[in-house]
Amino acid sequence: MTAFLALLRRDLHVASRNAVPLLVATLTQPILVVLVFGNILPRLHLVAEEFRTVIVPGLMSITMLMAGVQGVLLPLTIDLSGSREVDERILAPITILGVAIEKVLAGAIHAGVAGLTALPAMMVLMHRVSGVDVHPHWAVLAPLAAVSGVLSAAFGLTLGTHVPPRFSGLLFAVVLGPLMLFGCAYYPWAALGALGPLQYLFLLNPLVFMSEAMRWGVTPDVPHMPPPILLTGLLGFVLLFTFLGARSFERRTIL
Amino acid sequence: MPRVFVQDLVKTYPGRRKSPPVEAVRGISFGVEAGEFFGLLGPNGAGKSTTIGCINTLVRPTSGRVLIDGVDVVAAPREAKRRIAVVPQTRNLDRDLTVREVLTYHGRYFGLPAAEREARADRLLAEMQIEDKGGAKPLTLSGGQQQRVMIARALMHDPRVLLLDEPTTGLDPQARRMLWETLRGLHQKGLTLILTTHYMEEADRLCERLAIIDHGQILTVDTPAALKKGLPGGQILDVWVDAAAPLGPRLSTIAGVIRVEAVGQDGQDGGERLRLFVDPGDGLLDRVLHAIRDAGGLLHHVSLTSPSLEDVYIHLTGKELRE
Repeated sequence: MTAFLALLRRDLHVASRNAVPLLVATLTQPILVVLVFGNILPRLHLVAEEFRTVIVPGLMSITMLMAGVQGVLLPLTIDLSGSREVDERILAPITILGVAIEKVLAGAIHAGVAGLTALPAMMVLMHRVSGVDVHPHWAVLAPLAAVSGVLSAAFGLTLGTHVPPRFSGLLFAVVLGPLMLFGCAYYPWAALGALGPLQYLFLLNPLVFMSEAMRWGVTPDVPHMPPPILLTGLLGFVLLFTFLGARSFERRTIL
Repeated sequence: MPRVFVQDLVKTYPGRRKSPPVEAVRGISFGVEAGEFFGLLGPNGAGKSTTIGCINTLVRPTSGRVLIDGVDVVAAPREAKRRIAVVPQTRNLDRDLTVREVLTYHGRYFGLPAAEREARADRLLAEMQIEDKGGAKPLTLSGGQQQRVMIARALMHDPRVLLLDEPTTGLDPQARRMLWETLRGLHQKGLTLILTTHYMEEADRLCERLAIIDHGQILTVDTPAALKKGLPGGQILDVWVDAAAPLGPRLSTIAGVIRVEAVGQDGQDGGERLRLFVDPGDGLLDRVLHAIRDAGGLLHHVSLTSPSLEDVYIHLTGKELRE
């Protein structure tokens, strides 16, 4: 446990040094989207008024997904590079699974901080530009945000250990981009009933469960996925990606 | 029980689609006693790094076992890792930390209390003569300095065994000598060291015992002096002669001459150079001189030398050591 906490401390120490650029990278996207979709498009009568309350939790889940994935993926590319910086961690008195879980936890904290910074920023901005107020149910939101952060980071570990670094640009275009578009960030999953059985195809996308979880916590009045399905999906993807990521991490580090 | 015990170690890397499996280590056994400076000498691809990897838990053996102080590295990797420290072949210092933080965080990973890790970091930075680099980022340091930071980092948790995988590769001669001094100092303090190298001189100067390794197998294990004595005859007599007919066959019949090799023309001393592996005894030089004269030859120059590790290596493997 000592080694685990020391590794976590090291990661948070390094991340805190880069706090300002990380914060800018985290907040730019949601703030601009809130400006465009919360103010400009409604004034042009191009989107419905309700859209404004739908996108706030969606943007929060996207922000967390990106922060969690990047929080694991970027350090991992250095770790697994030719110089093998990861060996210093592997040689610490800790199991390989312990190192992998530490990476997920560090990424999850990264995602959590990103989400909980983006949400108040969006709330303030939304109020200023469109007068719309959202009232999060913090007691529901906090644990759901924590699990969503773990899911994002575990997904980052899975991607980072399966995809060679030279393809990471492609990863954002081909994997993360589509996940965001079909991740129920800009529309509630319940509304997809209009598509018929196709609605259930969306459940293959882990971001759907994160978006619906945030919808439940941030805008409890907007219809959201039934909690049993939501929680099963969230925890199922956490277990799946932690398993896949940790297994691949061990294969990449121990010859 | 030796401090490090390697028994019937085998490592076969599985094949991929286009490449067949690689048998990197094919049944290696040796023991390293506490306080010993042990070397693995061999060409690139001989299996040295894989052997070190199996000892330090970064490579999982296909079969065989490795014990550190009786602790099996596969069955109990965490206990084994507390006992060993590694200076890897590639410089892998944590680039996001300062040099001093590299040391103190390493101490944290191993559970050292704050006061102790700070004190040790100070002492090791001074011992490695990098006390003014504590605040620098590792990538701004020279290769030799980074190497010393890696040794300081390895010593932070007070290991029983220090594993060094080709530590001087890529260093300039001055940095290499400085590193040798550092390693000798650690050995004198009683640390057990295992070093891999493809530099003969390094193995000869530092190691108390050497395993010469090629194609994943140990060819021989002994002290450098004993390895050199193990050559046929034990001494090398070089002679530079002028002769009408080849002298080799004639010289090889002399009592005390084990083998004769023609080394070729030598511009500086004139004449043909012959290398005689000899068992030096009474009257040997006299017998060689007479044989040359009897054949009508003229002797320009002689030199009697002790063989080097390189001669041993060539004798054992039949080839030059590839660097």
